[in-house]
Amino acid sequence: MIGKWIGKRMVMGLIVLFIVSFLSFFIMQVAPGDPAIAFYGGNAQTLTAAEIERITRAYALDRPVAEQYVAWLGETVKGNLGISYKEGRPVFEIIMERLPNTVLLFSVTMFCIVIGSLWLGTVAGMRANSIWDRGLSTISIATSSIPPFWLGILFIYVFAVSLGILPSSGSGDVGGNGGMVDKIRHLIMPASVMIVTHVGIYARFLQESIKRENGQYYVKVARANGVLERSIRNGIVRNASIPYLNYIAMTIPSFFGGSIIVESLFAWSGIGQLTVKAVVTKDFPLLMGSIMVTGVLVVITLFIVDLIMYAIDPKLRKGGIR
Amino acid sequence: MIEVRDLSIHIQGKHITHHMDFTIPRGNITSLIGESGSGKSLTVSALLGMLPDDAKVSGSIMYEDRNVLDASDQEMENVRKQDIFTIFQDASNSFNPSVKMGRQLYAFSGERVGDSLQVFNEKMHVILDKLGLGWEVVEQYPFQLSGGMLQRCMIACAFYVEPALLIADEPTSALDMVLQKEFIQLLIRLNEEKGTTIFLITHDLDIVAEAAHEMIVMQQGRIVETGKVETIFSHPQHAYTKRLLESRF
Repeated sequence: MIGKWIGKRMVMGLIVLFIVSFLSFFIMQVAPGDPAIAFYGGNAQTLTAAEIERITRAYALDRPVAEQYVAWLGETVKGNLGISYKEGRPVFEIIMERLPNTVLLFSVTMFCIVIGSLWLGTVAGMRANSIWDRGLSTISIATSSIPPFWLGILFIYVFAVSLGILPSSGSGDVGGNGGMVDKIRHLIMPASVMIVTHVGIYARFLQESIKRENGQYYVKVARANGVLERSIRNGIVRNASIPYLNYIAMTIPSFFGGSIIVESLFAWSGIGQLTVKAVVTKDFPLLMGSIMVTGVLVVITLFIVDLIMYAIDPKLRKGGIR
Repeated sequence: MIEVRDLSIHIQGKHITHHMDFTIPRGNITSLIGESGSGKSLTVSALLGMLPDDAKVSGSIMYEDRNVLDASDQEMENVRKQDIFTIFQDASNSFNPSVKMGRQLYAFSGERVGDSLQVFNEKMHVILDKLGLGWEVVEQYPFQLSGGMLQRCMIACAFYVEPALLIADEPTSALDMVLQKEFIQLLIRLNEEKGTTIFLITHDLDIVAEAAHEMIVMQQGRIVETGKVETIFSHPQHAYTKRLLESRF
């Protein structure tokens, strides 16, 4: 049963990745600018027509787009993401250097957001009409309305420029000898921006879900029959977390979108910043590689969320109707 | 056991019940009968101290020399836990759909009376057998059981808890005729074997005739007649009661 379910999810994940690659590849082709010129970088104006043609032919840029896509897909499946136009190194190698930073930023922020929103949402949701309930409703709207880049600039001004206690950018000491403490110091601001702008809205969603669940028939029956409040609360939170997890799953892609902005703002050396650089320099192989790795991260995260849902929702396991 | 005096309930300015007076004698099965929307379920909520926040209530509900309407939430929680068991109408929604029945049966019975899981397993095994439910129900989720089985699970908990008062709010309305009859027999058994006082809310006169000793007839939020079942059936006084009895097949 679980094997079949996992197999189905994996196939769906592969289909998503295929669609992402297809759309990204074709959208890039209609973007303005010649990739052959972009390949040459800063000295593009010195290129002769013959050189442009040579580059175009060498990289098969004169072939139909569909043919280029099939060739790219064939190589990607074999694990070859190509060579970066800009750096002249394998894309896979560049991405692998950046991936740990993105995974670190994502894991830390997501962990704090989930823990924070679970706590806030449960406290506010279980105490309808209390100050917690009303307070979270207001604060969540305020925090989720703050643009992350604006909050980031404010943080840089306060903590880096005025107080001088945190580094304004980068993901580690220039010399690279700062160790874990240095990494954490660089992580605090980008992670805080992501947490502050997201925790409220996730908590609010859980709060509403808990309030809805609190009014369910089975809760009334349990309260009427002296079931321990602890057992009732655990049951409510468990059921309310199913739509909450669904909400997390739905917002994961846009969460990665937000992290691209934050990575760029704080020059956090991750996949997001790499993607922005690849767009600016029209480094197509690198851009495709970054998009695909981000896609894989999204698919893996969604798979983990699905696994958690599978564990807590017996109707999914037993094939019942919800 | 319970004396209700001059009980009126208003919700958002609307009168739900008007100056109700009735008694639930200890050891008997007392039935409250009335049409849908006559205020029966809200009367049950008032007895349990679980009226909605926007409800305004006057009068008194005396339970063991205490006025339920003056009791704090904590006091009422204790009374419900110690003395009362309530079976509601919609059995299929009475249990948490994500928790196995074994865990929930324990929460409704063993945990409530302070028994260990081991004691619960032994006692509940016997009760489930008696009620024609196999022990395997404890490994199942509520959505895997029928409405009738879930209602029997509820009554199994009542047998376990042996409450001083069992309130059954239209417990058979979602069951077919055969299951209805079985369920009523179980209520009678609980009353006869354990001496449990039962307050049975229904709109079905056949059930009243079969199970109850006393009956209270309610119409549009008012009590129109109370008394022994045989007396009311043989000499109904109020026009509504007469109409009810005439409409019986």
